Amino acid sequence: MNIAGIGIVSTRGRGIESLDIALREGWTSPKLIKSDNDQNIFYPIYSVEKETINDINLLKKIRRADRFSKMAVMAARDAVVDSGIQINDKKTDIGIILSTAFGPHVTTFRFLDDIIDYGDGSVSPTTFSHSVHNAAASYISSLLNIRGPTVTITQFASPFHQSLILAKAWLTEKRCKYVLLGCVDVCGNVMEYICNQKLRIANDGKIRPFNFSALPSSVPGEGSVFLMTSLENCQNKYCEIIPASMTNCDTIKKSDIYIIEADGMAGNETSYQDTLPVDVSIGGYAPIFGSMKIISAFHCAAGALMIKKQIKYACPVQENPYDLNVITKTESSKIERICCIRKNCADKTDIIRLIR
Amino acid sequence: MKIFITGIGGISAAGKNITEHLKSFRLMKRNAGTVSLFDTSLPYPVFEVKSPLVNKQVNKQVNKQKNEMRTLSLAMSALKEALHDAGLQKDFSAIKTGVCLGTSVASQLNDIDFYRTYRNTGAAGMAPVDRFLKGNLAEAIAKSIKANGPSVTVVNACSSGADAIGVALSWLRNGVCDIAIAGGADELNRVPLCGFGALGILSKSLCSPFDKDRSGLNLGEGAGVLILETEKSASLRGKKSALRLAGYGAAADAYHLTAPRPDGSGLESALRKSLADANITPQDVCFVNAHGTATHDNDKVEGIVIEKIFGPKIKFLSTKGYTGHTLGAAGGLEAAFTASALRECWIPASAGFVRQDENIPVKPITEQTQINGSFAVSTSLAFGGNNASIVIARNQ
Repeated sequence: MNIAGIGIVSTRGRGIESLDIALREGWTSPKLIKSDNDQNIFYPIYSVEKETINDINLLKKIRRADRFSKMAVMAARDAVVDSGIQINDKKTDIGIILSTAFGPHVTTFRFLDDIIDYGDGSVSPTTFSHSVHNAAASYISSLLNIRGPTVTITQFASPFHQSLILAKAWLTEKRCKYVLLGCVDVCGNVMEYICNQKLRIANDGKIRPFNFSALPSSVPGEGSVFLMTSLENCQNKYCEIIPASMTNCDTIKKSDIYIIEADGMAGNETSYQDTLPVDVSIGGYAPIFGSMKIISAFHCAAGALMIKKQIKYACPVQENPYDLNVITKTESSKIERICCIRKNCADKTDIIRLIR
Repeated sequence: MKIFITGIGGISAAGKNITEHLKSFRLMKRNAGTVSLFDTSLPYPVFEVKSPLVNKQVNKQVNKQKNEMRTLSLAMSALKEALHDAGLQKDFSAIKTGVCLGTSVASQLNDIDFYRTYRNTGAAGMAPVDRFLKGNLAEAIAKSIKANGPSVTVVNACSSGADAIGVALSWLRNGVCDIAIAGGADELNRVPLCGFGALGILSKSLCSPFDKDRSGLNLGEGAGVLILETEKSASLRGKKSALRLAGYGAAADAYHLTAPRPDGSGLESALRKSLADANITPQDVCFVNAHGTATHDNDKVEGIVIEKIFGPKIKFLSTKGYTGHTLGAAGGLEAAFTASALRECWIPASAGFVRQDENIPVKPITEQTQINGSFAVSTSLAFGGNNASIVIARNQ
């Protein structure tokens, strides 16, 4: 399965160029937002700026959409454009797979506001219809006139990995010629509160991917990544992408770069140590995007860009207590294979191989 | 590659297992009533599950003994029946097993008490959050049976269950797993009740799918689960099955968030894809278990498309008159009913239908009817313009 196009909306902007710039610039401090509970408490968050998704041309067609849908639509649309694939008018040969951990929960809470404030019989139907998980995929299909199969999935352990497995199956059985697959998650005030209760938040705003801590620090993030995928060798191909499982260590050793997806979101990170071969370059880019259940999609986008540009990007946070071969400098490099590895919250290891 | 249906399980207001459902269908029992699970000012009748299998504290949304969401309890009940039917144990650690289930309510952190407390004080206890985090339907089921394959919760609104079965079919055909647990589950919940009420599509009387005077849907709850298995897997353990999952098709309307495309082209595309996937023609289909929500738009579009594809003499029905609209569970439950009907060689009357709508060129069956064919279709339409169709076959 090939990556033919990438669309990304993150705290660092929109589009593949914004990703390149962010990876070159490295770490920046997160935004601090006030706690609803105590005005003296501030939480760090890598949020997506309003301006990033303020695309008037697109928004006039999706005026009612919430942030969750807007981020997804923009990343999805950019992935299609980036692919340069000439698509017929009625796009029945494209499928959509959208995965998310938490869905449009900000809108769900807004709907609960309606119930609490106005009563069961006086709620907004528009808010309700946008609180449904598949609203974003619906907007994508409407806006891009994509009329193939459309599935929205939710998962906490490995949402992006699962969507890759399904995309590969759809392409292999020729259910579609292309699959537009992606992830989206937002972080609102309530989720920020929950993260502060459930996770250890990095007070200095730094996620440390190579500390392999039993109680790792995180900084909540949000955003969306979409990939246009196909079995064909497309004009703008980034690389091949293969979802796999952690059963064959030989496969991992063959990679040129090994992207550690530790972001503090999946609990104990000590077992990464057991997985790592010693003779490969190690990357880890979660400090740029923030902690998310869908962080794999961001890492795959970064890895795909590295292969296409033949550049390895310096890690944004380079604390390296285990003396790994962490990438410390952005420079040209011959890169044939990248292996992204994530220890998920279900104590399983997801591997995504990117091959030139 | 042939994919067998080796186990079927279902729970809804019409019965706590498939046998009870068939009995309710024969007797045309419609177990609807007022909401007892939560307080609401809304007057709409609903189809609640009263079975103690689900939750001994009938008036609670949460099984506090297990700190478990009601949706999960419903799913576990249907799963238990399906596993028994399939002759499988509740430990899949040695079999490559996937879990794909659809839902709507279980995917949302929509605990009103939690949110009200947070809103009022800026803080709230984490118990509802923990329940939510442990309650992702597919992940929770996979964990409970030690499934080691993929697990995905499909959240395609009202077509979630059918699409979950379609995802599982793709997994099995591609060797991602050898056995798949697929279907859907959803609990009756205040949030969608308010939402559907606001959309103006709930009926104040018992729903009447495809009827001229239909006035909207009734919400329900339940779970429907199929055990799907590759021919090789079933053969290796000596399991014979009379049924198989022959095809799946899905297509997006690309039209509107809540209304179906008026020309029905999305549903038509999904149906034709499913028939092609099963390598059959419309003439091979002996009946259609329609989505049939009893809303004005759904039934009109669906009726027109069914007539267009299958012709005016096709036997079709909606089972929502017996179960209510169970949202994310509907596709799973209706697949279970479709499979059971093929196995039993009869389909029930479409409850609630009395008079034909002149805008719908076909009418559903009004009495229990014998069927002889080998293929049946179950359709699902959803918010967001999702259309799904699955084809179930009787093994020759």
